[in-house]
Amino acid sequence: MDEFQEILQDFLVESFELVEKLDEDLIELESNPEDLELLNGIFRVAHTIKGASSFLNFDVLTHLTHHMEDVLNKARHGELIITPDIMDVILESIDLMKALLETIRDTGADAGIDVSECVVRLDKISGGDGNVETPVAAAEPQQEVQEEVVEETPADDEDELDYDNMSPEEIEAEIERLLNQRQEEDRKKREAKIAAGEKVPSLDSDSASEEPKEEKKESEAAKPVSTPAPTQSAPAKAKPQAKKEDPKAAAPTKRSSASNVEQTIRVDVKRLDHLMNLIGELVLAKNRLIKINDDVEERYEGEEFLEELNQVVSIVSIVTTDLQIAVMKTRMLPIGKVFNKFPRMIRDLSRELNKKIELEISGEDTELDKSIVEEIGDPLVHIIRNSCDHGIEEPEDRIAAGKPETGTIKLKAYNEGNHIIIQVDDDGKGLDAEALKAKALEKGLISEKEADGMSEKEAFLLIMKPGFSTAAKVTNVSGRGVGMDVVKTNIEKVNGIIEVDSVKGKGSSMKLKIPLTLAIIQALLVGVQEENYAIPLASVLETVRISKDEIYTVEGRSVMRLREDVLSLVHIGDIFEVERILDTSEHAYVVVLGLGTSKLGLIVDTLVGQEEIVIKSLGDYLKGVDGIAGATIRGDGGVTLIVDVVALMDIARGVKSTVMMEAEAGAAKINEKNSPSDYTVMIVDDSSTDRMIMRKALEPMGITLVEASDGQEALHTLKSGDHNFDAMLIDIEMPRMDGYSLASEIKKYNRYKNLPLIAVTSRSSKSDRMRGVESGMVEYITKPYSADYLSSVVQRNIKFKSEFM
Amino acid sequence: MSDKLKEVINQQSQKQQADTLDQSDDIVQLVGFMIGDEEYAVPILAIQEIIKPFEWTRVPQVPNYVLGVFNLRGSVIPLIDLRVKFGLQQKKQTDETRFIVLKKNDEVAGFVIDRLTMALRIKKDNIGPAPDTVNGDETMIEGVGKQEDRIITILKVDKLLERDF
Repeated sequence: MDEFQEILQDFLVESFELVEKLDEDLIELESNPEDLELLNGIFRVAHTIKGASSFLNFDVLTHLTHHMEDVLNKARHGELIITPDIMDVILESIDLMKALLETIRDTGADAGIDVSECVVRLDKISGGDGNVETPVAAAEPQQEVQEEVVEETPADDEDELDYDNMSPEEIEAEIERLLNQRQEEDRKKREAKIAAGEKVPSLDSDSASEEPKEEKKESEAAKPVSTPAPTQSAPAKAKPQAKKEDPKAAAPTKRSSASNVEQTIRVDVKRLDHLMNLIGELVLAKNRLIKINDDVEERYEGEEFLEELNQVVSIVSIVTTDLQIAVMKTRMLPIGKVFNKFPRMIRDLSRELNKKIELEISGEDTELDKSIVEEIGDPLVHIIRNSCDHGIEEPEDRIAAGKPETGTIKLKAYNEGNHIIIQVDDDGKGLDAEALKAKALEKGLISEKEADGMSEKEAFLLIMKPGFSTAAKVTNVSGRGVGMDVVKTNIEKVNGIIEVDSVKGKGSSMKLKIPLTLAIIQALLVGVQEENYAIPLASVLETVRISKDEIYTVEGRSVMRLREDVLSLVHIGDIFEVERILDTSEHAYVVVLGLGTSKLGLIVDTLVGQEEIVIKSLGDYLKGVDGIAGATIRGDGGVTLIVDVVALMDIARGVKSTVMMEAEAGAAKINEKNSPSDYTVMIVDDSSTDRMIMRKALEPMGITLVEASDGQEALHTLKSGDHNFDAMLIDIEMPRMDGYSLASEIKKYNRYKNLPLIAVTSRSSKSDRMRGVESGMVEYITKPYSADYLSSVVQRNIKFKSEFM
Repeated sequence: MSDKLKEVINQQSQKQQADTLDQSDDIVQLVGFMIGDEEYAVPILAIQEIIKPFEWTRVPQVPNYVLGVFNLRGSVIPLIDLRVKFGLQQKKQTDETRFIVLKKNDEVAGFVIDRLTMALRIKKDNIGPAPDTVNGDETMIEGVGKQEDRIITILKVDKLLERDF
């Protein structure tokens, strides 16, 4: 049983791949009915599936495919010209075949689908043998018999029963007839091949049990994950080179008949995911290594071993990056996998809508991550349907407008940096910005005011709004106002951006910009107060530095002018409830976020830099926190949260920015000093004697003094927020954390930017002083010093009010 | 000498056997800790590790008892302050503060506690049910353990790890 399951699995995987290819081939066949190579390929698919399914006892499927095979065989021998009507039947039968395969996949049997009607029609095309009118179960064995005799298929047991249902003469006659027919066919086949200048393999379709197997092997080998036309059947591949110069090379959906068979191996996706996770860990470790290297470099400048360390670090980092790319590539699929189904769709649509539409596909080799390939199928279907239904005009309208009768939809994919662009262009009637606005107004999706201020491009994006549809009538195809909203949601899900462009009367173009992969991303790290956040770089359009008076308030919202657009602003601190201690800087950084169709300016305190980050989930406990997509571990081992741009934009709508107010309130607060004890100074020194000396010198002023015995303790006391320090006296030589490190740590925090740090030390060389300045010290007092001098320096730095002296 | 060694080994193995007997004998092993003035305990098997406090990252829009997340050897793990969760004032961390990392199935979270007390072995007979005043299924209390003159509240690990916001 297990073995059977295994065979069944293989059969299903293979069949689905074959069928997928079949659709595309058939559409191409319709425009090139003479193409023998194509026909042969299609015939082989039907044949392979038939062979395998009869072996696995899927009678209904065998029955159906057998009749398909008949029709195709006729066409192959030139006895039948494939007309659109015939094609409809063939396509219908392929749909049935797909349904059957799905049923088999889900239930393990092919019952429950009625194929008789389709079979009758197939048979009519192939010349009406007559015997198909018998119900499925009865017709079935006849085919089996025929197959058995001609092709020596070992499927005896299932036939026994059915002989009973017929008179011996009937069987005899039937076998005779079928035998003749088949032999005739075989002969013709050989002749046709000989005519085509081919060597006839002596075994040609002699044994059905052998052939599918052989084909299976070959097509499996010929099925590299990255080749767009992998299921080109084996015989087509083995054809002589001369075939390649066929005129059909100019066919619309042109394929490359790759002659060399690539070596491939099937791998479970789970393994790849696991590999990707491991790479993620490695990237984190690499980031950490780079950080440590930087630190070491700073501390041991000029040491010889640094060179070596540097080399190792850079090798590790290069290899990691390469490894990451390599693993990412294994997860990549050609977008052709998605594109494949569109020729069929366009064909069906154009018949349904009575329009003439041609689809041009390019860039189907472009690769992107498997998970994304799965996400973009639906949006593309909607976009293309939309183009067919709303974009391309009726043939008469097109002629009236002086355009060719046949409308063209171009579907192309290409790489642009770390993104893949999928573009759908049509040469239809284009979008009418005014009409869109009017419609949106009518439906109450926008206000009059919004409509007035809307640029043409913004108006185009209205089509993405839920509930929006410009089609006067709701057709079967579209107009329900759901589709484009789906596009937006799905594209946003993969952090993509949508652009719509159109010239009225000339056509429209829709561009989807999608990141290549999801697990490891480039991110912009931004700082607010002492917190950092990572924003996926894919969503960042640009960053601008503005002065605070460039921020205007309109209806209680902050906005700024960005070139000709007005950009609404929100402070990251308002969204993530960051306590804003103090921020007196005149400037702010605005990160312009773009997602799907909307834009938003996010105000941050600092731009930290760009880093490659690995997305980690926050786990079940914290899953679904608004505005947070996950977390990543940084080079220093800390955790940084990743902004969920989609959610952030939603939150931003409800938040009123308070940029201005807080800054003013903060500025007012610091000046409230009513007595000398309102001033607080921290003394940081590891020697208690030194601390005592300083305390003695400063106590007469009446100010509050807090002591710390080393850098770490000082930093801890400072950050605990128990005191509001006005200045710090810092010794340089201390255990655990020295004065320089302490100063540079403190200066990392926005709220301590203006806290005066005074070095008190016995180190007096010029280079020591320089380091002091570099790490953010404002004064440098050399031991020994006089008490008066110390207190005067402190007074000056804390702006001690003269009335307290 | 070797005889003596044997004797020691024998003694030890006997002791171990006694231990295993003990374990099978309805004894619950717990780790006790202080939060405020109360002593609590969790089953030792639910504890992944106990670590000294270190840096964590605040997460916005969560209840105040969720301090944020921290990095435990490459995993991002939530950190919960049990003081705040139990309605006490947040307290500054001291030298005795620890993070207890609890694990049940795939759920892992760190909990801030004021101080560890000791590992406990309590007979099941000495564990009473949670007081009636605590309402039904919602209670975080597994039971109340009595040992000598102490009363220890035993917490439900799955309740602690359950998201309740």
